[in-house]
Amino acid sequence: MIGIAILIGCLFGAILGMNAPMISYTYSSYLAIAVIAALDSVFGGITSVIRKNFDLKIFITGFFGNAILSILLTILGQKLNVDIYLAAIVVFVGRMFTNLAIIRRYYVDKWSERLKEKNKSQTEEIQK
Amino acid sequence: MKTNLKRGKVTMAIAISIACFALVLVMFMQFKIVNQTDITAIENMREAELRTELANWKAKYEETETKYQETSEKIEEYQQTKQSNEETEKLVDTELDQVNMTLGKTDVEGEGIEIILRETEDEDISKIKAGNLLVIVNALKSAGAEAISINEERIINMSDVVTINNTFNDFIKVNGQRILAPYVIQAIGNQTYLESALLGNGGCVDELKKLGHDVSINKINRLKIMKYKDEIKTKYME
Repeated sequence: MIGIAILIGCLFGAILGMNAPMISYTYSSYLAIAVIAALDSVFGGITSVIRKNFDLKIFITGFFGNAILSILLTILGQKLNVDIYLAAIVVFVGRMFTNLAIIRRYYVDKWSERLKEKNKSQTEEIQK
Repeated sequence: MKTNLKRGKVTMAIAISIACFALVLVMFMQFKIVNQTDITAIENMREAELRTELANWKAKYEETETKYQETSEKIEEYQQTKQSNEETEKLVDTELDQVNMTLGKTDVEGEGIEIILRETEDEDISKIKAGNLLVIVNALKSAGAEAISINEERIINMSDVVTINNTFNDFIKVNGQRILAPYVIQAIGNQTYLESALLGNGGCVDELKKLGHDVSINKINRLKIMKYKDEIKTKYME
């Protein structure tokens, strides 16, 4: 179910994104950092779904809050002449990897359990 | 409980799909921007890149500037030499023109006088000889004539005016060309000087008149004297 939802969302996003108007290159860096933040939020959401502690409010506030905060930080960094967006990228990408690890472990566990069950049923059949 | 759980799952799915939608939308926009912008364009460069680029351009500019200065200096030099060349050329040209005029290689125009000598048909009176013409030409020269011609034959420095003796008939040759009466002598110069040099008591014209020839002198304000018709050749002179 969630897989289908992700697929549909990505598909529509891609179609609309390809036909979207061009944005000036100056805003490109803000957009990039927002993309990273959103990616982190989506992975976090999927992780929370797997852990069965998904909260809609937290997800939505995290999604938009992270994106906006990272953009603001980037702007501030440009004003201060410090590359703050690097810190944001480090944090987001680090979290992304941990979330990805959780997702991967969950599916690997699921798969190995299924394999075990299959083996068990086969041995039972043989024993019969 | 079960419907509640299902509803929760649906909202969860919708929320995640919307999030994915927004994410991918922004991602594709970003892809497009990155693809379509020219990173080498000045507007899109980072500050450090701009700095190095600016330094490069500055160096190039300075180089060009010095080269330009050198070239302009050279041009100025050339112009000066050209100007001096032109001046000398002009000088040489005017000199050449003057020399050509005095040599008789060009048609010349100016105020002057015209002397027409008509021989009498009286057989007893001696005909006009080359000597008479020479005397007139000499007088004109001494009066400051700048160009002289006899019957359209320009008198130049090596012109000959001679009488050829023939058993039947004498004739006069000027510049190797036979000329016949009436003789028309044209001279460019100060009209009064020229005229007074010829007239005067005991002058050559007076003498001819006394002999019985018909001599008339006309003052002409724009007299044209033709150039020397032959080539001026030198063979022995070096």
